[in-house]
Amino acid sequence: MPRLTQESSHSSDYFDDDPEFLKAIAEIQLPAIADEPELLSSAEPPRAQRPKPLEDEPPRTQKRLRSPEDDFEDDDGAHYHNVLNAVDANDDESLNSYTYGASRFGEFGEYMTRKRAKLQIQNAELEDDEDVQGGEAAPKSRIFQGLQIYINGWTEPSVQDLRKMIVQHGGIFHPYLDKKSLVTHIITCSLTPAKIREFKHMKVVRPEWLVKSIDAGTLLPWQEYIFRPGERVEDTQGRKVAQKSLSSTFVSQAPRANLSKPVPERPDTPMQVDEADLDPAAQHVAGLSKPPVYTIVSPPRTPKKQTVLSPLKSGPTTPSRHLYITDPSTPEEADRIPGYAALKSNPHAERAMADPAWRAAHTSVAPDFIEGYYKNSRLHHLSTWKAELKNLVAEAQERAENGGVDAWQKMASEIGAGAEGEASASASQTAVNRIVQENLGGRGLGSGDVSMRGAKLVKRAPGNAKGKGKEKEKAADEERVIMHCDFDSFFVSAGLIDRPHLRGKPVVVCHSQGGTGGGSSTSEIASASYEARKFGIKGGMSLQQARKLCPTVLTIPYEFQRYKQFSLQFYTILMAHADDLQAVSVDEALIDVTSSVARIRTELAERLESSDDPSDPAKDFAESIRAQVKKVTGCEVSIGIAHNIMLSRLASRRAKPAGSYHLRAEDVAEFLAPLDIDDLHGFGYSARQKAAEKLGTTNLGELTKKSKATLCDSLGKGSGETLYKALRGVDERQLESDKPRKSVSCDINYGIRFKNNEQAETFVYQMAEEVSRRLKSIDMRGRSLTLKILVRDPSAPVEAPKFLGHGVCEAYNKQTPLIAPGGRATSDEKVIGEHAWRLLKSFNFDPKELRGIGIQIQKLEKASGPQETELGQAVLPFKRVEADMVAPPRIDVQPPSQEDDIEIIEKPVPADPVDLPSFSQVDMSVFDALPEDLRKELEAEFSKRRSVTPQAGPAPKEPSPVPEAGPSKKLLVRGVNVKRITQQLAPRNRPLVSPSKNLFAKRVYASSVNVTERELRKYGIDPEVFAALPREVQREQLAAHRTPGVTLYTGPGERKVLKPTAYRGKRSSKSPGFVFRPPPAPKAVFVERPTLKQQGKEKGEKLCFSETEDVQGVIEAWVEAFRESAPNARDVEYFAKFLVQSVDGARASDAGVERAVAVVKWWLVLLRRYFGAWEHEQQQQQPGERPGRITSEYVGRAWWRAFKEVKEKMDVAARKKFGGCLSLK
Amino acid sequence: MAAHASLTFNQAVRGVAEFIEVAIHTILYVRQVYPAELFVRRRKYDTPVFQSRHPALNEYIAGAVRAITDELALGTLDKVVMVIKTADEKPLERFIFAVRNTLEVESFNKDTSVEGAISVVSLGQYFRSFLVKLNMIEAQLGQMYLDDLSFAILIELQDDKAPTATNGKDPPPWIPANSQQTTSGAAENAELHMVRAVDTGIINLALAVQESEQKLNLNKELEQKGKGKAV
Repeated sequence: MPRLTQESSHSSDYFDDDPEFLKAIAEIQLPAIADEPELLSSAEPPRAQRPKPLEDEPPRTQKRLRSPEDDFEDDDGAHYHNVLNAVDANDDESLNSYTYGASRFGEFGEYMTRKRAKLQIQNAELEDDEDVQGGEAAPKSRIFQGLQIYINGWTEPSVQDLRKMIVQHGGIFHPYLDKKSLVTHIITCSLTPAKIREFKHMKVVRPEWLVKSIDAGTLLPWQEYIFRPGERVEDTQGRKVAQKSLSSTFVSQAPRANLSKPVPERPDTPMQVDEADLDPAAQHVAGLSKPPVYTIVSPPRTPKKQTVLSPLKSGPTTPSRHLYITDPSTPEEADRIPGYAALKSNPHAERAMADPAWRAAHTSVAPDFIEGYYKNSRLHHLSTWKAELKNLVAEAQERAENGGVDAWQKMASEIGAGAEGEASASASQTAVNRIVQENLGGRGLGSGDVSMRGAKLVKRAPGNAKGKGKEKEKAADEERVIMHCDFDSFFVSAGLIDRPHLRGKPVVVCHSQGGTGGGSSTSEIASASYEARKFGIKGGMSLQQARKLCPTVLTIPYEFQRYKQFSLQFYTILMAHADDLQAVSVDEALIDVTSSVARIRTELAERLESSDDPSDPAKDFAESIRAQVKKVTGCEVSIGIAHNIMLSRLASRRAKPAGSYHLRAEDVAEFLAPLDIDDLHGFGYSARQKAAEKLGTTNLGELTKKSKATLCDSLGKGSGETLYKALRGVDERQLESDKPRKSVSCDINYGIRFKNNEQAETFVYQMAEEVSRRLKSIDMRGRSLTLKILVRDPSAPVEAPKFLGHGVCEAYNKQTPLIAPGGRATSDEKVIGEHAWRLLKSFNFDPKELRGIGIQIQKLEKASGPQETELGQAVLPFKRVEADMVAPPRIDVQPPSQEDDIEIIEKPVPADPVDLPSFSQVDMSVFDALPEDLRKELEAEFSKRRSVTPQAGPAPKEPSPVPEAGPSKKLLVRGVNVKRITQQLAPRNRPLVSPSKNLFAKRVYASSVNVTERELRKYGIDPEVFAALPREVQREQLAAHRTPGVTLYTGPGERKVLKPTAYRGKRSSKSPGFVFRPPPAPKAVFVERPTLKQQGKEKGEKLCFSETEDVQGVIEAWVEAFRESAPNARDVEYFAKFLVQSVDGARASDAGVERAVAVVKWWLVLLRRYFGAWEHEQQQQQPGERPGRITSEYVGRAWWRAFKEVKEKMDVAARKKFGGCLSLK
Repeated sequence: MAAHASLTFNQAVRGVAEFIEVAIHTILYVRQVYPAELFVRRRKYDTPVFQSRHPALNEYIAGAVRAITDELALGTLDKVVMVIKTADEKPLERFIFAVRNTLEVESFNKDTSVEGAISVVSLGQYFRSFLVKLNMIEAQLGQMYLDDLSFAILIELQDDKAPTATNGKDPPPWIPANSQQTTSGAAENAELHMVRAVDTGIINLALAVQESEQKLNLNKELEQKGKGKAV
């Protein structure tokens, strides 16, 4: 695909896939607007430059990026409206008679046209009726004006009611969806998977939108009523990408949309507008108290949004935060990096790339590139480790339980001894030591239950629950002790173990070593020691930047093996103490140590020591853990303690370096007050931006004062709520000890430099191999593949500032179902490679511009599933049951054999992708006609449904090996979960049997209409967009552009659109919906005639002769001029060339032969006239010989010789086509 | 459809095929392949033409032209050749209808006026001039002295193409031609007379007559005989 510039249009595909891209576009547009502040203040819609639509044309409510595509839509809409207006006006007799007249034979196309017109007349009548009933007092509601709505399938309320609502409130109801570009919204309650795909780029809304809008008396934003098919439990399992992106599209354009809000240009409104602009808050108020006229036509936005009229994304209020990465991929990121010149090319890279040998050896073209890439990529190690953490944790578990017995015991006793040695050891410390010893010894306090069973991570000591009734649950929650354990600059401290001489010096870990790279190294710093941090050096900076901050900074290399080893030890220790553990990363973990701490407390109590001991057992325990880790690994760990995850993370930040901090519930507010919103885990740059923009502050103390609704409004529902709770010290998240893997991917965005498509293809297949290997290593297969592509941003230099980095890029994503033969999920490298390559190819990027490729496989399934056996047959992708569960972390505690139990329970439920209608709705005649077994099955199902109540159902098998801890919770999940069943029964958005056809659906059109790209460009149509259009629309567009006299922009007053065109009779059967325009006329092709070119009388003038008479005239003049002398060889050549060309079938048409023969005949006539005597004379003289005196004989012979030569040449040429030779008779 | 509108693709195909049929009848008459009594005079393209009255002959010609039409619509046709041959299959004269499709039209556009093509009316006028010249071809070719003549209709396709148009289940009606009668089999000294050519912008058509070597030799023999007789 040619690069998309901001002016060019974008196929709607890209709208959803890529919010970043959209954002970029939105921002590109903005400065232009910002340049004209007057424009802004007068709230003039940028569209004002466009020709004003007629008054009665409903303003478009949907603001989208302007693109040629949209223009078409608009015009279609306008076009259509004109038809409708004509119908409304009801004054055009001919039209009416046309509409209701009889269809003539063969004019099938009129049928739909008329039907549509009639329905619109009906609608108009509906509206009129209402007018009459409502009397003159009721003003007509126009809240739906501009909406063109199509209703799909069964809805609640019914289609009829909805239609009435739409029509009565000024909308247009479309009974048919044959012209998608007309329809602005689709209303539905349920969609089939096929339709979900079909409508995925459209605005699909639930009917409540209309109902509520009418209730509210104003058009509510449709985004809140987006229809989400079969709300999936797991986002990765085919979450509605399109729908999500629809809203994200909207959000990313929100600032722009605000600007382009259509303000009616009435003389009496400017005051209001001005007012609003002078004071945004006032506008807010005004918007509430006396809604301005435009709220009727544009979906009202939340007042908050309206107040932010600033076109600049951050504005002066929020200075953007510095970001430390070496290779930003978006311009915004680049902006945030101090000293990063995004547009500066890397001179070293340029030089290196100029050397083909170097290029072949070091870029993605190199055969072992991927291997090398992963060997050296820190991020890769971290991410794969994270994947391996599960195993790591299990290993640590094992060691803690078994091997630990002697080794750990030894350590435990050492600790104990150490503690006893300290005379001043506080009571709590003693207690801690005791518990630590017990933990390390692998023995719980008197409860055998704590002894390890299976591969469980949960070792909730029952003692913890003892004596705590339900009423105490909250208190218990408060008493939860979560520790966030984090190594202090892990890589550096691990590296310093071997390099004690570097301690206390500014040290960083990065690829670039010693002098190499020197001052200009772009190598990224992975970790910096605290000494280095004092200079301002941070992880993610480039070495170059760091050197600027601290010229003496020292570098040490990565030691991946060591990190792994330490990580294992770290986890082993944590495992010994934790009730539950969540592995965050190699050097970071969250542990639940509630029981241990509780035991310490009891211990304390048992010792009857003074309960007012100021020391904190939790903190002491943390210190003990720190000491243990330090002892084993030699590295410092910081531990934050709190009663939930969020706070423990905050606490660990306070604890650093090398310390621990207990954030108590009562201190939370005080602790949070000075912090910033992005200090909270899960809140980043964008949340901070939003908060700054919409709430005016990013300070947590300030934010605490905001209401929950305000927070939700500005940050979105989910994060708003999370923030609200977090501010109050509440975080209900559970530790996720074993998160199921959702996707497997392989991304490479370093060193991608291809020269051609072959290289790119090879590379993609190599990546596919890698992905496949990873899939196989976790024994999974995938059903969906996403290809992520980074393409160099047009404004970015060819060589990114980071050496071989990706630089500023445009990102593209595309997803495709991954189908192995037989419709199975797959992990086959070939299949993955093929799919990925096909996707990449479909983008049609210039391979030289590629900067990053990522292949991600989603919808994972266990490879050793039952599908394996059914080779060769397509398997309906019924969702496996375990994938359905909301996956409360406890569930995973069960031994794997439990899965089978769950499945058995599910079996009686028919796994039908379509939900059954209620029994009363079943057509009994159909029902009776069903085969008996089928009928029985249905009956059984219906009766079961009648009886099933949410918690009842077949008794689940008692999960025997589950410890008594929390069995009730598990039971709940194992019982028949009606919600889950309905979810399973609901139509799913996954393709059922042959999704592969979607693969090709996109590009198939390209060839369907015969048109060159150049022609399209001439018409101002982007070929990309054109190719994506449906075939009918393509033709329509082409016809409109090609047919002379028919302009695309038909003025509103014209009503002739419904008239049958001269062409219709012939074509109507082809495209009944598209009768408005004649098809493109093919152009006649004439073979270019050979011409005889001559210098004109005037200088520079060229004469071209092609007509027989003209050429004959030239020949005659020539012969006349040379009657007394032999013809010039060059002249002969000149005529010969023309004549031969004329008779050559490959170069001229047969009319040329005709002409040439006529010319030669005339030549013959002339020669005979003047030199007739010598026509049949035998050649007596050699041609080159010149007689002493020029005789007429000599001249005549020369002429005949020339004639015969030319004739000979012509014969040879003509023979190719006709054989033989030309007759001059 | 207005007569002055430019041709559609289908019109061009039908027009050319129709002309070929008319021309074949005319040639049979003009070259005296069959006795003149067999023909009836009619008007076509505003010019008098002669049409065979023999049903079997007409059937054969019509069938051949139908098959030609199918191939013509496919655009793979290069020449239609009507060979006048002796009883022993020796070609005497080859009437070559050279066609060339210059334009490929999408199926939905076959009935759309082709922009820039000549009109229906002028195509008829061109055909008229074809026939007028054809009627006077004797001036160039001389009289046919031989009895027992026969004729065949050949098509020559563009390189590497085979006749593909089929009607229902029947195989394409064409069989390989006698190579002597084809263009590639024509001798070097065979003489080609260009009758007329027209570029419609859709299908270019030219009519040429080729006198075969055999005929030229025959004529020479006859001339010598005649001379001998005269002497």
